Amino acid sequence: MTNTKIKKLQRTFKEGLDNFKRNGWLSFATVSVLAISLYIISVTLIIGVASNMVLKNVQDKINVSVYFNSDIEDAKIQEIKEKLGSFQEIKSIEFVSKEKALEQFKKLSNNNPSITQALDEIGDNPLLSALVIKAKSPEQYEIITKAIESSVFAQDVNKIDYVENKTAIERLQSIIKLVEQVGLTLGIAFIFIGVLITFNAIRLTMYAHKQEFEIMRLVGASNTYIKMPFLFEGIFYGISSAFVVMLTLFGTSKFLAPITQGSIAGGDILDFYLHNFLLIFAGLLIAGVILGTLSATIAIRRYLKI
Amino acid sequence: MLKFENVSKIYPGDFVALEDVNLTIEQGEFVSIIGHSGAGKSTLLKLLYAEEQPTNGVVSFNERSLDSINRKHLPFYRRNVGTVFQDFKLLPQKTAYENVAYALEVAGESDEDIAEMVPEILDIVGMSSKMSKYPRQLSGGEQQRVCMARALVHNPLVIIADEPTGNLDPTSTWEIVQLLVKINSLGTTILLATHNKVIVDKLNRRVIEIDDGKIVRDTQNGKYTSVRAHNNSKAEIQAI
Repeated sequence: MTNTKIKKLQRTFKEGLDNFKRNGWLSFATVSVLAISLYIISVTLIIGVASNMVLKNVQDKINVSVYFNSDIEDAKIQEIKEKLGSFQEIKSIEFVSKEKALEQFKKLSNNNPSITQALDEIGDNPLLSALVIKAKSPEQYEIITKAIESSVFAQDVNKIDYVENKTAIERLQSIIKLVEQVGLTLGIAFIFIGVLITFNAIRLTMYAHKQEFEIMRLVGASNTYIKMPFLFEGIFYGISSAFVVMLTLFGTSKFLAPITQGSIAGGDILDFYLHNFLLIFAGLLIAGVILGTLSATIAIRRYLKI
Repeated sequence: MLKFENVSKIYPGDFVALEDVNLTIEQGEFVSIIGHSGAGKSTLLKLLYAEEQPTNGVVSFNERSLDSINRKHLPFYRRNVGTVFQDFKLLPQKTAYENVAYALEVAGESDEDIAEMVPEILDIVGMSSKMSKYPRQLSGGEQQRVCMARALVHNPLVIIADEPTGNLDPTSTWEIVQLLVKINSLGTTILLATHNKVIVDKLNRRVIEIDDGKIVRDTQNGKYTSVRAHNNSKAEIQAI
């Protein structure tokens, strides 16, 4: 780029900034509406990403435990395990013998003396051997349990527990889906409004400068030179709203941090925000610049007759 | 240097503003263009600074047809032509200095050059003491001087002045005309459209009269009223 071009770019940039500052309340209103639309979109995205993380977390933890009657030999259970291994829906099967289960139970209860004492009192191991099955996807648990219930070894099975987990997951999934749909619809509606408002603000600036276009041309300004300030003005609206949204998102996540404590891998929603700060900020800036440029281009195309 | 060849300009609605105009103007001339309001003076000038394009014929500047100039390059062409108008056309939110500087800014001149050139040019038009005033703080005559400075700042080959004194009192009018004469004496071609009889008579330079879109008179050292027209009107008055 030549020196003159850089010079002109600087000057039109400054002109655009002046327009933006001089508009005062109009700029404030424009930035607010743009910020609201960007805010809704980003909250939706963050909820989407965060809740999918939660879901994945929960999904990884769920499994079906098939408990066998206490008179069933370990060897028999191993045999059943091998049979189940041929199911393509099953991701993994882990055999937990009653001894191991007891050990885990003791560990879980922190070797609480009263519990160990109670166990000693019973003398015999009260726990059952189990196969812990993980499916490839949550909806397959039902197929797996049905298959086990109707299999030849069904009478050896003491109990199968999976049901509570399943409904919780289904509810979580449908909530996430609903939030995403509502958020995206609202966000798109607000983006539309935001572009309209920005476009209108730029149109008003153009109107205020109406008699100047002729003068600009007469003193030898190129069309690009006349257009650039309006483009920059649009970009300023976009960038300012990105900053506003960054702040409000920080406030929101700080407010929601206690509620979300522990539900997201690696802490709460505030940690999530801080951890992804640069990514979110870059995304917002890009979105802001795109929206501003889009609005300015529409305004220039429609109203700048030069 | 400036040439009109069989130029016609017809505005939408079949309004004929100029009809078959042939005209040549040489470098360094001082030409007054006279005629009634609506006779076609402004259209003639607009064709020269490429605000309008001719319907027929060719307008050329230094042997180059304005039609052949790419729209993208028109701004560069316009820097060869300084314009001054009756309504000044100054940017109201810029000071006298900034108004002149603006013409250089759009051309991408460096800040140093601008800081050097603008006061010089404002000094030539006698406005250096009022550079930081806004147009609304200046009298009509002063505003027109700022316009002249702005028109001069690109060192144009031609100055086109469309009734520059239309809004001014006699003293300011004469000052502006003297300024134009001074600029002309430095070699710049001047085209002055005016209604002012006194100016034209006093200048005693080339006069082109337009009536109904046609050139009806083109005389060197002309007066505002042609001798024939003068006699005609004398006869009419006597008849009454």
